[in-house]
Formats: sequence, structure tokens, C-alpha cells
Amino acid sequence: MSAATTVAERPGTSPEKPVRATGKRRGPRRQGGPWTPWLYLAPALVVLAGLLIYPIYQLGLISFLEYTQLQVSGGEPTTFRGFGNYAELFGDSQFWDVLLATLLFAAACVVGTMLTGCSLAVLLTRIRPLPRLVLMLAALGAWATPAITGSTVWVFLFDPDFGPVNKVLGLGDFSWTYGQLSAFALVFFEVVWCSFPLVMVTTYAGIQAIPKEVLEAASLDGASVWRTWRSVMAPMLRPILIVVTIQSIIWDFKVFTQIYVMTGGGGIAGQNLVLNVYAYQKAFASSQYSLGSAIGIVMLVILLGVTLVYLKLLRRNGEEL
Amino acid sequence: MSEARVVNGGRTVAVERATGVGVRRWIRKPWRLAAEVGALLIAVVVAFPLYWMVLSAFKPAGEVRSERPVPWTLSPSLDSFRRVFEQGDFARYFANSVLVAGSVVVASALIAFLAATAVTRFRFRLRTTLLILFLAAQMVPVEALTIPMFFLMRDFGALNSLVSLILPHLAFSLPFAIWMLRGFVKAVPEALEEQAFIDGASRTRFLWQILFPLVFPGLVATSVFSFISTWNDFLFAKSFIISEVENSTLPMALLVFFDAETPDWGGVMAASTVMTVPVLIFFVCVHRRLVSGLGGAVK
Amino acid sequence: MAGSALAGCAPSTSDDGAKGDEKSGKLRVWLFREVGNKPKEEVVDNVVRRFEKKHKDVTVDVQYIPVDSRAEKIKGAFNDPDSAPDVIEYGNTDTAGYVADGGLADVSEEFGGWEAAKDADPTAKESVTVKGKQYGAPLFVGVRALYYRTDVFKDLGLKPPKTLDEVAGTAKKIRAENKDMYGLAVGGAYTYGAMPFIWAHGGELARERGDEFSAGIDSAKARKGIKAYTELFGDDNCPAGKCAKMGGNETVEAFAGGKAGMAIGGDFNRQAMEDGKVKGDYGVVPLPGLKEGDIAPAFAGGNNVGVLKSTSHRTLAVELMKELGGKQTQEELFEAMGFLPTFTDTREKVAQKEPFVKPFVRTLDAGTKFVPASPAWGEIDASMILPGMFQEIVSGQQDVEGAAGEAAKKMDEAFVK
Repeated sequence: MSAATTVAERPGTSPEKPVRATGKRRGPRRQGGPWTPWLYLAPALVVLAGLLIYPIYQLGLISFLEYTQLQVSGGEPTTFRGFGNYAELFGDSQFWDVLLATLLFAAACVVGTMLTGCSLAVLLTRIRPLPRLVLMLAALGAWATPAITGSTVWVFLFDPDFGPVNKVLGLGDFSWTYGQLSAFALVFFEVVWCSFPLVMVTTYAGIQAIPKEVLEAASLDGASVWRTWRSVMAPMLRPILIVVTIQSIIWDFKVFTQIYVMTGGGGIAGQNLVLNVYAYQKAFASSQYSLGSAIGIVMLVILLGVTLVYLKLLRRNGEEL
Repeated sequence: MSEARVVNGGRTVAVERATGVGVRRWIRKPWRLAAEVGALLIAVVVAFPLYWMVLSAFKPAGEVRSERPVPWTLSPSLDSFRRVFEQGDFARYFANSVLVAGSVVVASALIAFLAATAVTRFRFRLRTTLLILFLAAQMVPVEALTIPMFFLMRDFGALNSLVSLILPHLAFSLPFAIWMLRGFVKAVPEALEEQAFIDGASRTRFLWQILFPLVFPGLVATSVFSFISTWNDFLFAKSFIISEVENSTLPMALLVFFDAETPDWGGVMAASTVMTVPVLIFFVCVHRRLVSGLGGAVK
Repeated sequence: MAGSALAGCAPSTSDDGAKGDEKSGKLRVWLFREVGNKPKEEVVDNVVRRFEKKHKDVTVDVQYIPVDSRAEKIKGAFNDPDSAPDVIEYGNTDTAGYVADGGLADVSEEFGGWEAAKDADPTAKESVTVKGKQYGAPLFVGVRALYYRTDVFKDLGLKPPKTLDEVAGTAKKIRAENKDMYGLAVGGAYTYGAMPFIWAHGGELARERGDEFSAGIDSAKARKGIKAYTELFGDDNCPAGKCAKMGGNETVEAFAGGKAGMAIGGDFNRQAMEDGKVKGDYGVVPLPGLKEGDIAPAFAGGNNVGVLKSTSHRTLAVELMKELGGKQTQEELFEAMGFLPTFTDTREKVAQKEPFVKPFVRTLDAGTKFVPASPAWGEIDASMILPGMFQEIVSGQQDVEGAAGEAAKKMDEAFVK
């Protein structure tokens, strides 16, 4: 039961009708007034309003102010700068470098995660239960590893002096965190390692929910693995793939812990900064709180763009929220 | 060899007959064998970092800092763990982490359960807007909010205490929890609800005595994410716990070993092991529901 | 609900005013964690024990914070007076910035009335002074000199270098003979190790005109110094892959661990050497200048102890500050860690006992230099502008001119603020 069925039923059913119908049917008999849902929502809304929306509002506000350590400690009054902080940010070539690096890095991570996750999911369907279980357990282990311990372990694996990877690959004392690309590559490995299991497990559950006959038909037609995936599985798994892709984008675009821990706060001369770490460094290391906030707002806007795309995709799929 | 083949063959035949593709068995078999070997190799690679972590935690100091690392140890030692537990008040940090993560998990589960019920079992104005809000809220880059959150916590007078860790994480884990729980709440048949009302159950009774137990497994699965993100946090811990060391959490203790000029790798690995094992156990217990929950979040 | 009251207006600022002056309770102290911190802890534990005996119902809670990330930590403390410590150790380069941030308490009165203060050497006193007011007590003077391995030098028939060029030459010779050893351990993030090179070549970090500063790091002379320093990174001395990211502590650690033939270390690093593999096998000479007989101007470093403005135990905190920065503690810290005392009489006393300090005292006497005495320095330091510059050059991302120009631009931006 569990995964498979829940997932499978989804594309088949057309959720709109029955829900609306029952809603109507149920209406009169319901106890409590129209405010009942709001009563249930109240705690969530209070928490989100106070601890999420208000801080976001403050973030936006600070991004328009002159707000450095002097203002925080009351040495000087806060002044309104309008778009001054944004102008300063956009005028700084480092910002564009970091933005580009963030986008490329996130894209690489998403693609790497999806490719690994999907191909391993297909692989899982082709092997017997024992190896499948072994691979599943290994993936679960990677999935469960907290980002911070995962980061330290990977740095250790690739340590130029004491790590086994360089020894096995015969790289001598090659320092992975020295070059921009190799440092990003190292973080990339860690990110893919800890995020592909989610894709793999979800996709595998989705494939299992595809009616056997469909896959058999494809198999009898002599379709290759790739073609079966391309023309049978992928279309049927579309909703799941969209969700995991979107989740990956969100997570990989916001990656913080891995970069911060593995490259020591952004790498040599800041070469491995991504927006999130950049914002943190600006705000807390150089106490330019307003610039840090402006970076945060830029990230927020980009991610809201992703949300819109997501909603559009959902709607095109004929799904209801 | 031949015996194995017979056994294998027998099993294959059974499977293939069932799936009706017995014709292809001779072509498929070597392919499958290769796939299985490949899968096992991948499993080894995937599991290796964790294996290395645990191994290095048990290696004596000399072997950890050896120029020729070997993937085994002949003289396992608890020295690294001893160093970890003697570092400050490690047990206390562990307890703090459990307390913070536990509070967030319980509170967010309850609040998310109510909210998910509201958005799945009621129709009301602004429902879709709210759902979009919950979705968008997941996008918020948490780390960027450290700045305003710091000032907010200060104005609450919560800085330096565990409350300053619990509150933000509660807020950050709620949207995803609500989003994921919807699937579980939806999966409970409407008929059940109607039956309950016909039997004269009040709404509250239905909510807590019928719906809640049914959704509970899903709630546990959902909690994994709240748990991990909270358990993992070092940014807030680092920024908000300013001077009360006794309110430190595990990641802070871990970074003490890592940040030193020459990292104490044995200590880092031992602390990492201590930090990872609880999550691992949690995960293995709930992973089935996790998958179905993520499926539910599809919608 | 303080939060909601603030909605709509600008984020609040902190109220750093002192809140009373309690005579009992807990005093929080932040000190820096040094390489090989144990002996320091022992000295401090003694001080604390003495202090707690003297003052009933007072407990002192000491924390050792990493030097590298101190900026975030201390800023957090300034931003939230409620959780801030009462007494902190801080680097003398941070004095101006912390005072401008409104973090440190003005202790001029107590400092003036302090018996020992008249023996404090003028440079040290200057380092706690901003616009004529004192904001703490000097704890030790930190000057850096050249540590070298006597055994390695003997094996290779080398002599301690007499010019900066010789330093580079000697370093390369050591590296050529010992492939698993750095000649001179250098670090891309080791600003205070690099400064003597810039100063020896006649460069300056910044020029002062009246109250205004402007960056001087991109002058021709400064660039020569930068070049000399960054040329030390490479497979023939200290491979960039490893050394670019090292800071001062890492280079000291490398030397102490026997992985370097020479290192630029401070008097305060002696204990780390004694605890390391090189015990008994090292000597110290002043870092030479361009010409034979010259000494490269060293950075007049050192740390102070100060009281936070927000303390609720002002009297006690000042007492503790005097205790920590007092003659007895300084002498004990010298014995334990090699920290050079800031009191001239104490310094003379220990110099007679301990020939180890001679090269450091000579370096001090030859004239030292300081970072720009501007509040902006704290930001320049915390934003890693100079380490970024060195690292860019070392890793080949930019040439000396480009990187220095960029760093100068960033410094100027900070000065203007």
C-alpha cells in the first residue's frame, strides 16, 4: 500500500468534482460555523505571520535602509536609502559573479540529482529484491545524514593529507578546496549524494505504481530501457518528477551548510560563494546588514519566480491545489 | 556454480512466467546480473562516506592521521568518543538538540495537522490563496532571514535561550509540513467523517479521536523533515546563542573540533557519528510513510 | 509583544546603556583561543580563583572564542546587550571599531586611578586609547619574528637569513632538500605575517590625511612588498594549494608540527612550539629588512581586555579587567604562553630571565607599525579584503596590480563610510 497507491491514484482521479460535490453535500450537516477552518488555521497563521512574514517584511525594510553596525548599536540614526543598497549591490561585479555561480551550481546539482535519482530508480526495477534492498538502505543512509555531518565527512574523504579518495585516485596531495571548480565539484558530490535518494525512492515508488501491463507491452515491443523511460515512464511520472525537480531547485538554490562548512565560508578569496552564504558574510562578517538583506530579497524574488512556474505547471497538469 | 544457476534459473522462470516475458529470459539474464553487480557497487560507493565516518571515529588517533589510510582498523578505540564527550558539556548539548528538535517536531506536527485539516476538509474563501502562501513560504531562504530574526528574537528577549532556536525552526518547518500532511488527511475517506457525525460525534471528538490517529503515521513521516532541519541547524545556534554555552547544540560542538587549526578528524567523525545515528534510526523507521507522504505532496 | 509594537517602524537599535551595577552574580568573560591554549587556561583559572575568593557570591564564566570568527561573535554581543559578556579580550586592531560601535565602556577614570597603569608602555597605552579616553587595559604586546629550525639549518649548513631576499632563498633551499617541508610557512590569510614585507619595501596600508584615510596598498612600493610575499607561494616553498587558505595560526601549527623550516610567529606562539614536535630545535631572529642589518617593521600587535558598555556589573567587571591585565597575570601569562608584558618594568624583568624574548624586544625597539587607526579597519579586516587580495594573486586569478587596485578600492569604500 503506502507510497505506490497514493501516488498512482493521483493522475487517474479527477479530484475537482468529487471534492466539490462532497463539500456541498456535507455543508449543512457540518457542526460549527464557517469560522471553523479559520479556527484550525489560527495557530499556523499566527506562527507564520509573526515568525515568517514579519521577518520578511523587516528584511525588505532593512534592504532599503542604511543599516550597519553603527545604526544597530544606536550610534547613528537609521536613514532611508531607497534603492541605494540595490544600486550598490548591482554595481558590484562580485554580486554578478556570485549570482552566476549560484545559478550554475544549483542547475548542476539539480541535473545531477535528477539524473542519478531517476536512473537508479529504473535500475531498482530491474534487479532482484536483495540487491535492491542493499541499494535502498545505502541510499537511506545518505539521505538521513544531516548536512553538517555529511559536509565534514566529505571534506575528510577528500582531505589532501589523510583522505582515502586522493590515495585511491593517486592524486597525491591535490587540494580539492583550492581551485574554484574542484571545490564546487566537491560540494556538488556531497549535495548529489545526500539528495538523490529522495528522487530515487519517490520515482521508484511511482514506477511501481504504473500498471504492469503497460511496462510489459513496452518490453515486448523490444523497447530499450531508455525508450521505455522516455515514452512510457516519464510521461506517467510527470507529476512526481515535477515535484521533486521543484524541491531540488528550492533546496539547491538555497544551499548554505555545505558551502559554508566545506569551503570554509566561501572558499579562497570568496570564489565559492553562493548567494545565501554571500548574504550571510555581508551581513554578519562585514556588518552591512542592509546589503545582506538586499541579497536575501533578490533570492526571494528568484524563488518566487520558481513558485510561479510550479503553479503554472500544476495547473497545466489539470491539478487542483 | 551449477547448483546456483539451477536455483536462480528456477526463480527466474517463476518470475518471468508470472510477468509473461519468459521468451526473453536468456537475453535478459546476463543483463540483469550486470545491473545487480552495478547496483551493489553503487551501494558501496553511496554507503562508503558513512562507513568511513564510523570507521574513523573508532580508529586510534595515529591511524586517523595516517598518510596511508586503510579501510579497516585492527585496534578499534573509543578515544575519539571520549574526547567528544569530554568536550564542554557534550551530553548537555545533545540534550539541548533533542529538546529543540523535539519541541519543533511536536509543535509543528500539531499545528500542521490542524491547518492541513482546514485546507483539505473545508471549502472556504481564500483557501487557494492560503495554499499558495504555504507553497511560497517553502521558498523562503531561511538563512537570509537570520538578520531580521536576530532582531526579532532580541526584542522578544529570547536570544541566548533555546526558545530562540525553537521559534524560528517552528516557523520554517510549518509550510512544508502542512503541504505534505494534506495528502495524508485527504486519504482518510470522507465517509468516515460522515459516519462519525451520524453517530453523534462532535467535531472536536472526530478531529482528535478519529482523524488524528488515522493521520498519525503520516504525521510521523512529516516530522522527519522538521526534525532534520532543526537537528542540523548551526547558523541560528551560532548567531543566537551568544554567550550561554550551556545552551549550545550539537552542531556547535561538532564545529569546535572542525574549526581548529588542524581539525581533530577523529573527534569530528565521532561527533558526526553521534549526530547522525539518531536521525538514521528515525529515518529507517519511517521511510515507507515518507515516500507516500512525498507522493501526497505532489498535489 | 515588543515585536508588534515595532511593526511599521525601522528595526530597533539596541540599548547599550549599562543596567545598574550589581555586586554579585555571574561575570561572563570571553578570551581568545590560542594555538595550544591549555597553559593560558591554567593561568586564567588561577586568576578566576583569586577573584572569586576576593568577591563573595560572584562566579566567573570564561569562554574561549576562535580568533578567526570573532567579528560575528562580538557583533552579536554588541547587538544583544542582555546576552553579552562583561569582559572581553580584543585585538588592538579592533579598538577603534568597537568603540565606534559603542560596544566598549569608557574606563578612563579607573585606568587613571590604577596604580600599575603608570608603568604601561606608551604604545600599549595608545592601543586602548581612542580620542584621549581609555577603553580597556593592555594584556600583552604581540610582535612577530622569524622562527627557524636550528636542526634543519645545521643539517643543510644554512645561516639565519639577514635580508628578506635571503629569507626567500633559504626557504627554497630548505624546500628543495626536504620535499615534505615548507621552506617558510606562509598563509594567504595571514595578513599580519605579510605586512612586514609591505612595510619593508616602503609601502603603506593606508595614508592618513587629517582624520581621513585613503588606501595605499596599491602604491608601487606596496606592490613590491605584495609581490615579494606572494612569490613565496609555490611548489618551491609553500604550495599554493595548501598555503593559500592558511591563516597565521595554521602556519604556526605547521612549524610547530615540524612541517616547516621557518615561520613568522609571535612571542605569544612560544608555548605552541614548546608543545609541538620542534621543542628544543628552534631559534628566533628578527625578520630582516631589505638591507643587511635592517629589521622589517613588525606589526605592533597585542591584545587588550575591556569591559562591555552593557555590563550590569560594572565595578566587578573593571576589577576583573585589572586583575587580568595586571602585572602578576601578565608575568604568569609570559611564563605560560610567552606573551610579552605591556608593563615596561615587568617586561625588563622577564627579558633578563628569558633570552627567548630578545629578538622580539629588538624588533619592538627597531620600530613597529600599526594598522590604520580608523573604525573602518574592523570592517576591512572582517571582510577579508587583504586575505582576498593575497589569495587572488597566489591562485593566479589576478595579477598583483589588479588585485591591489581592487583591494584599494574596497578599502577606500570602507574608509568613506
